[in-house]
Amino acid sequence: MNSLYDNRTLQWIVYFVFFAVLAVLPMFIENAFTTNLFSRFIVLGMLALSVSVVWGFGGILSLGQGIAFGLAAYGMGMTMQMQSQDPVNAPIPSFMLTNELTELPALWIPFWHTPTGIALALIVPTIFFGVFGAMMFQARLVGVFVAIVTLAMLSAWYSMAFDMQPYTAGFNGISPPAPLNIAGHAIDPYSHEAYWIVLAFLAALTLGMKLLLSTKFGLVVQAIRDDPERARFLGYSVAGYQVTIFTISGFIAAVAGVLWVMIVQYVSPTALEVQFSVSMVIWAAVGGRMSLLGAIIGAFFVNGIQSYLGDELLYGFLLVLGGLFIVIVRFLPNGLAGLLEMALARIGRSKAPGPDAEPGTPPVAASAAPRSQV
Amino acid sequence: MSVDHFWTAFAFGPFMNALLIGLSVASIWLIAALGLAIVYGTMGVINMAHGEFVMLGAYSAFVLERYLGVPFLACIPCAFVIVAAIGAVIELGLVRYLYRRPLDTLLATWGLSLVLIQTVRLILGPEPKNIASPEFLNSSVQFWVFSLSLFRLFVIAVTLATFAGTWWLMHRTRVGLMVRAVMQNKEIASAHGIDTGRVYTLTFAYGAGLAGLAGAMFGAIKNVFPDMGSGYIVEAFLVVVVGGVGSLIGSLVSAVGLGEIYSVFAYFTNGTFAKFWLFLLVVVFLRFRPQGLFAESLGRR
Amino acid sequence: MDGKRRTFLKTSTAIATTAGAGSLGGFPYFFVKDAGAQSTPWVKKGDKIKVGVLFSLTGALAVVETDSNQVVQFAIDKINKAGGIAGMQVEPVIIDAKSDIKVFSEKISQLILKDRVIATFGGYTSASRRAMAPVVMARDHLLYYPTCYEGRECTQNIVNTGPLANQHSQDLIPFMVKSFGKKTYFVGSNYIWPKESNKNAKVWLEKVGGELLGEEYVELGGSDFSSIFNKIRQTKPDFIFSTVVGDSDIALHKQFKQEGFKVDKMPIAALTTGEIETRAMGAEFGAGHFLSAPYFQTLDTPTNKKFVEEYLASKYGKGGVTHYNMEETYLSVWAFKYAFEKALAKAGSVEAITPRMIRDVTPGIRIEDDVSPEGLVYFDETCHLYMKPKIGQCQANGQFKIVKAADAHIAPDPFVIYPERGVCKFDGLHTKDGKVLKNVL
Repeated sequence: MNSLYDNRTLQWIVYFVFFAVLAVLPMFIENAFTTNLFSRFIVLGMLALSVSVVWGFGGILSLGQGIAFGLAAYGMGMTMQMQSQDPVNAPIPSFMLTNELTELPALWIPFWHTPTGIALALIVPTIFFGVFGAMMFQARLVGVFVAIVTLAMLSAWYSMAFDMQPYTAGFNGISPPAPLNIAGHAIDPYSHEAYWIVLAFLAALTLGMKLLLSTKFGLVVQAIRDDPERARFLGYSVAGYQVTIFTISGFIAAVAGVLWVMIVQYVSPTALEVQFSVSMVIWAAVGGRMSLLGAIIGAFFVNGIQSYLGDELLYGFLLVLGGLFIVIVRFLPNGLAGLLEMALARIGRSKAPGPDAEPGTPPVAASAAPRSQV
Repeated sequence: MSVDHFWTAFAFGPFMNALLIGLSVASIWLIAALGLAIVYGTMGVINMAHGEFVMLGAYSAFVLERYLGVPFLACIPCAFVIVAAIGAVIELGLVRYLYRRPLDTLLATWGLSLVLIQTVRLILGPEPKNIASPEFLNSSVQFWVFSLSLFRLFVIAVTLATFAGTWWLMHRTRVGLMVRAVMQNKEIASAHGIDTGRVYTLTFAYGAGLAGLAGAMFGAIKNVFPDMGSGYIVEAFLVVVVGGVGSLIGSLVSAVGLGEIYSVFAYFTNGTFAKFWLFLLVVVFLRFRPQGLFAESLGRR
Repeated sequence: MDGKRRTFLKTSTAIATTAGAGSLGGFPYFFVKDAGAQSTPWVKKGDKIKVGVLFSLTGALAVVETDSNQVVQFAIDKINKAGGIAGMQVEPVIIDAKSDIKVFSEKISQLILKDRVIATFGGYTSASRRAMAPVVMARDHLLYYPTCYEGRECTQNIVNTGPLANQHSQDLIPFMVKSFGKKTYFVGSNYIWPKESNKNAKVWLEKVGGELLGEEYVELGGSDFSSIFNKIRQTKPDFIFSTVVGDSDIALHKQFKQEGFKVDKMPIAALTTGEIETRAMGAEFGAGHFLSAPYFQTLDTPTNKKFVEEYLASKYGKGGVTHYNMEETYLSVWAFKYAFEKALAKAGSVEAITPRMIRDVTPGIRIEDDVSPEGLVYFDETCHLYMKPKIGQCQANGQFKIVKAADAHIAPDPFVIYPERGVCKFDGLHTKDGKVLKNVL
């Protein structure tokens, strides 16, 4: 049993080593830019984690993870913007002036108080995912239909963020001029401190998910992914489990949204763009969506390449990036994690799943009906 | 001030015009969605590069017209042929290896869309291009309270003709019969001696060709640039899903319905707000009718 | 204790640097040591002056920003050939922002912290400026934002070379009302710059007794104007005032003609439709409409003729036209050159120059007739330009005929219609109760 696929102890060791390496990494970086860049990658890794949880384990292809990310990012952006407003001289952010507002709208008032603001930034998207998920899964939406409904919902929020300019600044977005200040202490987005805060959240969420998915709850969720009908006949509330896993993934994306604004000091409707949510799915797929760690590494890998090749190749990088996806999908269906599994399986001569056996997609599904479980 | 102008009051003539514009919007969404509907309905392939096929069609028309002097009206069928050929090559080289993994086609075609956009940008440059349309289309007609650009009428006509042609092809020819057989059950169709591989290649090429045809027309209403395709993909998907997968009539009805809803909302409020309501209504609709308006031949489940 | 930690960090960094160069060959810069200690000079004597050039070369914004990128390189080449700045050559660090707001924010910090540029030229949209601003302000660095924007910001780290909302419409609206009639309809892209520009336009409209029939905004990148034209047909204005940007602008002009409107009965007066747009839409769709801008390719001055000729002949001028956005970007490089020289005279040595110092000497700098293609411009204390907007009418060849030029320079004022907020000055926004607020965004 050398395979990583079967050996749980080995898996836990790999997870701890991974986060330990990330934790000591800043010791070797004295460059503020690189520290910040890595913090960004970690947040994007968190988004890939949320996709892996909901898609890889829950079998729900959500193209709407950007909703939770975006709502939370706006909440955090509003909180940080209000920290730099002066109640007497500048009671409202200046973009509101263009839109004829003379006093702070009710929507913004709770954000004067930083803890309330951050709490709202996390709670509102999570509740929204619960309600939205209940709506979808009670109607027994599956597969591509979930993808399209989440896509439509995402587009609706995107239009909203654009159009409600008195409250969101529209396309321009909100850029809080100063870093987040917690009880008199400013968290410099370029510091090791910010990096460790972000990393601590990623580690806690990843290990939490790893634990959760190996409980009975996690096993039922995976059983539903593999065959919802059978799980239903066995008496499980399929919708209930799906709503729960969907809400959890929304919460993870919301945490990512809050941390993103903390280290970037900017939020705009681009957080709710279709392109962005699709790319989260891409990261998870590149790394291997069936592996939490794989998805996170996928996000690091794709974004690292984008950041580096974009500078080196200028005009050519999109060709390389696009070509890379085609090659990975064509030859490595389980992503980079699948490559690792194959390698380990070969070394250990243990039987890891072959490249074509993708749980959740029985070979007949494609031909039988496009709307079958995906 | 913005509040003063937010709501437009009802007036009979302009409202009737808004209904007509709804049809025009519907024709654009339908022609953009038709290829997607066929490819998705038949093969279960979620083609994220569909918008880029639209873009390729626009560029084909541009190159033919600008460099070879082909008249605009002749460019439209040429764009169909060129993009269909590109589609066939892509099916043979990439998509056919992914039929057993339908969701992975989403990723592969997304990668493909990046490659197509950047290749076009490198060859033809990032700046927008212009397709000159014949002078007689650059005017409008008035009748009763209606007023509509001739070009829009032209798009409506081409869309209807294409739709009718596709329906005829699918329901009245032997090839169409084979396609529908494969759509319903690939294994049984195969057992009856239908070459499913060839059917898939033809279907994918035909879907790509329709996108190319759409692109040639869009290029003349708007303009031609490498990223133009992304502007159609979301609406096209909604039209297909609301209409019901695999149903051509469903796509027609849903395109008209969505186009009218959008146009009426845009008349009373504004375009961005109308989009918001459109998306929200689609979500609610699919909540209560997940299979879409007309779900044909869903096969076994 | 602290000292100990530092040595540990230093040693390990040295190891990491070598290791990084070897085993992680693909990602060398991830493990370079931060050169960013405050005492390190930004420019060393005998070295080159590094400046960042951050525009989109791919993605939707590439249409305009590729030109901005090219013209910055053109200006730098020109300055270098003539001996550089204070005898030092300028070295551009060119980065693609990929039309992605996230990339703007990431790459500006890369330019400042890793490449150690002394200033950055970048951005075309307000969104990208707002994404870059927090980084620039946190490091007290310098950004040249070279295009028009809405104003209502008062920062100490950004130099603007494009017109503010209050400079654009001052002449255009009275001219249109006088030439075509009082009734107008506003069409814009749905974001803040068009809204702010329209607010300013309303002030001028009211002064000349014009009448606003309606105000419509199309989503950014949206290209279907049939609903808006339906409302315009209903209200019958004398002219349309447009702040539609980018691809949408091209669609607007095309559909104007396709909907059967006549340009001599109801022309479009725009703040955005320049030479590049009219060429992209096909000149027959642009002909007859109006544009207000500080610069046109057809400006009849020796400096401009030379600029157009040299630019189009250079390897950067393949685009085939010059336009106002490009010219404003060109001016920003000269503004940097003059400010650097002024800062050098003040500081004594190049090592002592900081980005903030360059910004602080910028007020009062003049770009004279013999350098500036649009004619003399000069900076006010908030680092915006005094300029002369001109009105051009598009001709059948896509070029503009100038029908009116402002008599005097118009003052920039980012807070002109918000006097209750205070007055923007050199050191920040001076509020009514005597406070000075820095970096108001």
